[in-house]
Amino acid sequence: MMLARSTLVRWSCALTLVAGCATAATDTPDYSSVPAWTSRAIPEAQGAMRTTADGKREAVRYKGWTTRDFGAFRTYAYADTRPEPPVQRAVMPNGVTGDAKKGRALFLARAKGPCTGCHLIPGDDVWPAGSVGPDLSTIADRKLSDAYVYQQIYDARVVFPNTSMPPWGVTGAFTPEEIVHLVAFLQTLKGPLPPEKDPDRNPVTRTKPVGFGDNLDPTNNPAVLMAEAAEAVWAAKGPTGKACADCHEGGPANAMKGVAARFPKFVPAYRRVMSIEDFLAVHAPERTGTQMPAQSTTNLAMSILVKMASNGMPVGIDTSSQEARAALARGKATFYRRVGERNHACADCHTPETGANKFLGGRLLGDAKAGLTRHFPVWRTDRTEVWDIRKRMQWCMIPLGANMLAADAIEYAELELYLTAFDVGKPMSVPGIRH
Amino acid sequence: MVTRRTVLGTLSTLGVVAATGVLPARGAASAQALGQQETIEAAMKRLFGGRPMKDGGSLIKLDMPLIAENGAVVPLSIEVSSPMTAANHVKHIYVVADKNRIPVVTRVALTPAAGQAYMGANIRLGETGDVRAIVEQSDGTLLQVKREVKVTVGGCGG
Amino acid sequence: MASDIGKVRLRIPSSIKSDDVVKVRILVIHPMERIERDKQGKIIERNYNYIDKVLVTYLGKTVASFDTTQNVSENPFFAFAFRATDPGQLKVTFTDTTAGKYEGTTDIKFS
Repeated sequence: MMLARSTLVRWSCALTLVAGCATAATDTPDYSSVPAWTSRAIPEAQGAMRTTADGKREAVRYKGWTTRDFGAFRTYAYADTRPEPPVQRAVMPNGVTGDAKKGRALFLARAKGPCTGCHLIPGDDVWPAGSVGPDLSTIADRKLSDAYVYQQIYDARVVFPNTSMPPWGVTGAFTPEEIVHLVAFLQTLKGPLPPEKDPDRNPVTRTKPVGFGDNLDPTNNPAVLMAEAAEAVWAAKGPTGKACADCHEGGPANAMKGVAARFPKFVPAYRRVMSIEDFLAVHAPERTGTQMPAQSTTNLAMSILVKMASNGMPVGIDTSSQEARAALARGKATFYRRVGERNHACADCHTPETGANKFLGGRLLGDAKAGLTRHFPVWRTDRTEVWDIRKRMQWCMIPLGANMLAADAIEYAELELYLTAFDVGKPMSVPGIRH
Repeated sequence: MVTRRTVLGTLSTLGVVAATGVLPARGAASAQALGQQETIEAAMKRLFGGRPMKDGGSLIKLDMPLIAENGAVVPLSIEVSSPMTAANHVKHIYVVADKNRIPVVTRVALTPAAGQAYMGANIRLGETGDVRAIVEQSDGTLLQVKREVKVTVGGCGG
Repeated sequence: MASDIGKVRLRIPSSIKSDDVVKVRILVIHPMERIERDKQGKIIERNYNYIDKVLVTYLGKTVASFDTTQNVSENPFFAFAFRATDPGQLKVTFTDTTAGKYEGTTDIKFS
């Protein structure tokens, strides 16, 4: 039977419509098509776990990072289908007398929160408090019951279902006794407040950070020099007898012009979304035999070199394929996915509706929706290291209390794809420079 | 006659010097290192004795962020109004950080060939505290300005 | 990359006229090792590798010099000024406590 062309067209449109409807109706991303991925990262970047000599499980992470196993808490892994910690109604424990002095010490303890990361309280020693959460300096004036304040700290979701406040009692970050002390302390915070001596103490009036100047100035940003070292790698012949330069002629600045502006992208050969760093980790050894594992100095330097060739060019991501759109949907879900002991999602800090452009302790929180990806990799002045966006994501896991995934994990790549969508049309400027 | 006890006494004095961590690498012939672990008062006394220090506010521009994002890299620049002639020029600019365990940061020696009394550097600060710019003119006059720089930290305990 | 130690980058304005006072920016890759302490807080005695001298010469004569300590940041950045009287070489020499010596030079031309 021969179908008229118009009929065929109508059928295919109908099929697309049906498929589209199906996706909209369920509104859940499709995880079935995500392949398994063996990490091509350096050992300390693989998100691996190990057992110590005395039988304890600990994490293999970068030098200086805690080895604590956060296995009890949800991660970004697509295979991790554990729910968020259950919402719990709390009852104040009997037989504990609240000690306001202990409570204040707990409030300020960096090993715990610190609560001052989000909440301002009075005190010359309070430096630097954040403004992500409400100012608690006169909270006792509101005459809230101890039980109410206790519940707020133990699990604020009972009171505010969409809160960013971690469920401190549910996860055990604070013990019930400690929360009683915190309550006792908060109930001492009455007005009127003395006049503020120093406008920088209060995050609302604090001077905003000025940054570290021209990121592309080689006398300012050491990462620019790192890229120069990568030029030698570009030209050097690997074990297969080939160099990058052999296939990519004309030098990296010419051969790679515009390439990085189109990453991350879905790479059909590997059936996954890849950043430049992910791609280098497979492409370099495949063609030249030179190993360039994710998070190696060579990989980062090469990534900077390749990306610099696109500086000034607008970021663009290809969402024309079904695979790319599916990845984007998964990346978005990850952005809103709550993980870790803190039960936080990226969205809890990095959108204007939540914490963006407010202080978290002394750090101004970035706004993902303003576009953050186009200056990565960045030179971290605090660490004297180059960080790509994957290391930045891995680092976030530490204060969140979640085990990190491999730097080249597909989950991170698809999250990066989602984040890059906010940079579309904006000019690349690599390497960046940040604290 | 040098007794054994005297010799040991001398050695232990050397031991104290070594403990400051500034043992010169190139032999005892080189001058005592500029940076010493000491209090700010001791540093000021060591560098300037009891010499009078004038307020340099009208001549010295000390440019630093009010809040340093981290203590590892704190940008600083100093500009001093000076004709920079042979007869009248800035001879030295000192940078001192009161709260650093080794307070002296750097000493810049200038000549009229510099054309302008200007310097910049990225410095380390251990914690919130005063940073001083001390200028020594060619006639020996000392001028000082100081500013508190707050060193900030992140909020997540991480 | 450890092999980067001693790499120097120097920046001057693109156009310099005779007798201009020129500001110069310079960066050198160097660890500027910080003092390490043991668990009791005592300084671990060893020879720390940090730049302790920066010498600026122009036309062979000293213009400025920095005596520096471990309080200068890793990969130190410095800025200074000089009066560009004649075309010729501007040289900055860094010396560290391991007798490492690193140089950055540029030829001053008038335009």
